[in-house]
Amino acid sequence: MTRLHPLFLLQVVTSLAIFLFIATTAWANEKPSRIVSIGGSITEIIYALGEEDRLVARDTTSNHPSVATALPDVGYIRRLSPEGLLSVNPDLIIAREGAGPLETMELMREAEIDLAEIPHGFTAKDVALKITSVADALGVPDKGAALADKVTAEIETAHASVGEGAPKRVLFVLSIAGGNITAAGDNTEAGAIIEMAGGVNALKGVEGYKQMSPEAVATSNPDVILVMDRGGDHGISLEGIKAHPALSTTPAAMNDALVKLDGMLILGFSVRTGEAVASLSQALATVGE
Amino acid sequence: MLKAQNITVSLGKSEILHDVSFEAKPAQLTAIVGPNGSGKTTLLRAMTGDAEYSGTVELNGHDIKTARAWELASERAVLPQATPLAFPFTVLEVVRLGLNSGVTADKGGLVMRALRRVGLAGFEGRFYQELSGGEQQRVQLARVLSQVWEPVTDDTPRWLFLDEPVSALDIGHQLQVMQIAKDYADAGGGVVAVMHDLNLTAMFADSIALISEGRVLRQAAPEAVLQDELLSRAYQCSVRVNTPPADGTYLLPHAASFAAE
Amino acid sequence: MSLALQDNIGVTTVAGDRTRRARQLTWFLALLLAGGMLLSLAVGASGTSLWSGVFDLVTGQDLALRDKVVLLDIRLPRTLMGVLVGAALAVSGAVMQGLFRNPLADPGLVGVSAGAGLGAIIAIVLGGLLPAVVTDKLGYYLVPVAAFAGSWASTLVLYRVATRKGRTSVATMLLAGIALGAIAGAISGLLVYKADDAQLRTLTFWGMGSLAGATWTKLLAATPLIVAALAVSPFLARGLNGLALGEAAASHMGISVQLTKNVSILMVAAATGAAVAVSGGIGFVGLVVPHLLRLMVGPDHKYLLLNSALLGAALLLVADVISRIVIAPAELPIGIVTATLGGPFFLWILLRQRGLLDM
Repeated sequence: MTRLHPLFLLQVVTSLAIFLFIATTAWANEKPSRIVSIGGSITEIIYALGEEDRLVARDTTSNHPSVATALPDVGYIRRLSPEGLLSVNPDLIIAREGAGPLETMELMREAEIDLAEIPHGFTAKDVALKITSVADALGVPDKGAALADKVTAEIETAHASVGEGAPKRVLFVLSIAGGNITAAGDNTEAGAIIEMAGGVNALKGVEGYKQMSPEAVATSNPDVILVMDRGGDHGISLEGIKAHPALSTTPAAMNDALVKLDGMLILGFSVRTGEAVASLSQALATVGE
Repeated sequence: MLKAQNITVSLGKSEILHDVSFEAKPAQLTAIVGPNGSGKTTLLRAMTGDAEYSGTVELNGHDIKTARAWELASERAVLPQATPLAFPFTVLEVVRLGLNSGVTADKGGLVMRALRRVGLAGFEGRFYQELSGGEQQRVQLARVLSQVWEPVTDDTPRWLFLDEPVSALDIGHQLQVMQIAKDYADAGGGVVAVMHDLNLTAMFADSIALISEGRVLRQAAPEAVLQDELLSRAYQCSVRVNTPPADGTYLLPHAASFAAE
Repeated sequence: MSLALQDNIGVTTVAGDRTRRARQLTWFLALLLAGGMLLSLAVGASGTSLWSGVFDLVTGQDLALRDKVVLLDIRLPRTLMGVLVGAALAVSGAVMQGLFRNPLADPGLVGVSAGAGLGAIIAIVLGGLLPAVVTDKLGYYLVPVAAFAGSWASTLVLYRVATRKGRTSVATMLLAGIALGAIAGAISGLLVYKADDAQLRTLTFWGMGSLAGATWTKLLAATPLIVAALAVSPFLARGLNGLALGEAAASHMGISVQLTKNVSILMVAAATGAAVAVSGGIGFVGLVVPHLLRLMVGPDHKYLLLNSALLGAALLLVADVISRIVIAPAELPIGIVTATLGGPFFLWILLRQRGLLDM
């Protein structure tokens, strides 16, 4: 027993020292400095706020701005591994609503890591709320209010400049893999941005992103088909659409009315949404003419 | 004593055995013979509990329908015609499965004794699936023997049910296997064998049941069953029974005049 | 000379008797499993050290909160879950192969896992429609129990369809399995279409096969079913050995065939159902582990079942450790790891064993 004593004492002293160190650093730094950003739109906002120096990791969907990809990737937004998150030793996790799984989020709370869940929605108001929520979590509410005002104004300007004339019917096609068409219905980012840009979502009465029957696609009768630009030759091409039996008969295919835009830009509902509305409305006005 | 009474077996709509009665005594080798499709294997399967039947089967005085599987297993073992094996067991492991019936422990290397008995000493390390059909049949016989190794326990005879035990064997091994069965009976056990070969049956059986078209034509001592007229009727061809002068066994040369009737 | 001496020492071992090797392997596999458990507790994306954690616990000091969460709430339940799920999958495979008398029967291949998956999906999507009395009572057990019901129903259907007059047709079994898998997939697809966003998220996460979601709650929900199934399995050994000779021969040897079949089906359903419910679809463990062990120490179920449990658990832990370090701090789904390792390995075994598999 007596031989163990000094070792035991040493252990107590060192752990006490470590505890004090952690406690004091946490106390001194009231603003969190080791932040994990979960969700592409959240990461964009953090960069736009100029707070990116405080980021230590991001999720797989965070690929804009491209410098963000240099940060360690903790996995897909819905499949976050608890130990992966803990391994970057964060003091704050800012996550878009719906990040998970629940078990992982539960464990983060247990490890007493601050967790800011940011609401997500499809209106200009929701974008502003998202920005101010992120800024509040970062402890920079003033910067957040300014950015939110700026983005709201951009969206309003873009929306106001939407051209006159009958609105075009727009079908957002997520994938035509294997000949099966997955398209956007109500309550989707794509549907919302189409309306904001002065178009009409061609697929009404369907909830979410759904695989559609060829007939439903043909009768949706779109004037324009909107797809995500995956860079280079990737993604859906005009040839692919013209070769698809159900899509080939639509006015969009006959008039070559295909619009390709960056997915994160149009679907992110973040700081670039004004830009997204402007690009889309401009594309809608000129495409197929 | 094995006693089957009023056995009727139907397969689907057709009746295969019609109200058959059959008896076998311990210390005897009882053979069931008959042409193809006569119902002899079905009778055996009824008596081993493998075929649904109406009537009663009593083994050593108790009804096999009410007896438990492990009780029956301690009193009788069954050698099927062919036994395909699902997994790569060694010969030794297959024979040891016979011991697994839970009523016999491997006292004094029973498995090896059973293998020596069927002339397969030295085969214990081979894979069962790599053996010839005849060798497999003898491995199964060794397994069955190890299940009921002692022909009599506590004054109760034990039984071997053999379904065409020599069908895949050459003549030397046919005689060897029949001798094993005969020895088992001589030691007090009961043996019931479905047989194809009438010559072998004549040489080894103590009692023969001749079956034709789902009925027992006669069950009696060999000399009372192996008769020209009866066999010709059962097998639908002319058969002549010869008796060699010296040792009293019967020989039935294959009839030359199949097309006579 | 020395060789002859060694032969004399091993005089109890007869040629063709693999009992001793099987017992030795059990000890080796137990050590391997212990090593796997230590590895699983020691390795992870974070720098938390098992040794200093244990040292702190032993010397009675408080762990740093983060280390405590990593060791006790992440790695420990995950390790135990890996042991349970690995053992459950491997033993289910072995029992199913014994029951169907075919080395290709595997809960994943013949639609039993799909059935379990369907049960779980129904519970996730339609669970809210159940009266509150039921959901309150079952709570966390709802999904495992539903998965068990699904796997039980599909095993039963499979056996009824594929087995006629006591003989199981392999072709029918595999085809019926494909049909069952398709039916389960179709109904699952329909439910997925009806599911709301939150439910979809649960489903996606659940479907990929992972131990990452291991929590004490899930572990507690799955443990009773899996432990009960594993505890029953040794009593199936004699019956399954007998069934290797066919149902008739088994019953002649004093085995109650129907009881063996019923217990086997329940055991497979419970183990597969619970494993699938908490870890999703993890393939190849049930196929590769028993096969490998049969090659090494023979098909005697007395040893096969226990060794399968040990090797299945150890292999799954190793696969899980790989899944967490390959792309750390992110993680691979473990199903991808087991399929990547197990698929080619199984093909290799098939190539080597072509002759023996034909029946």
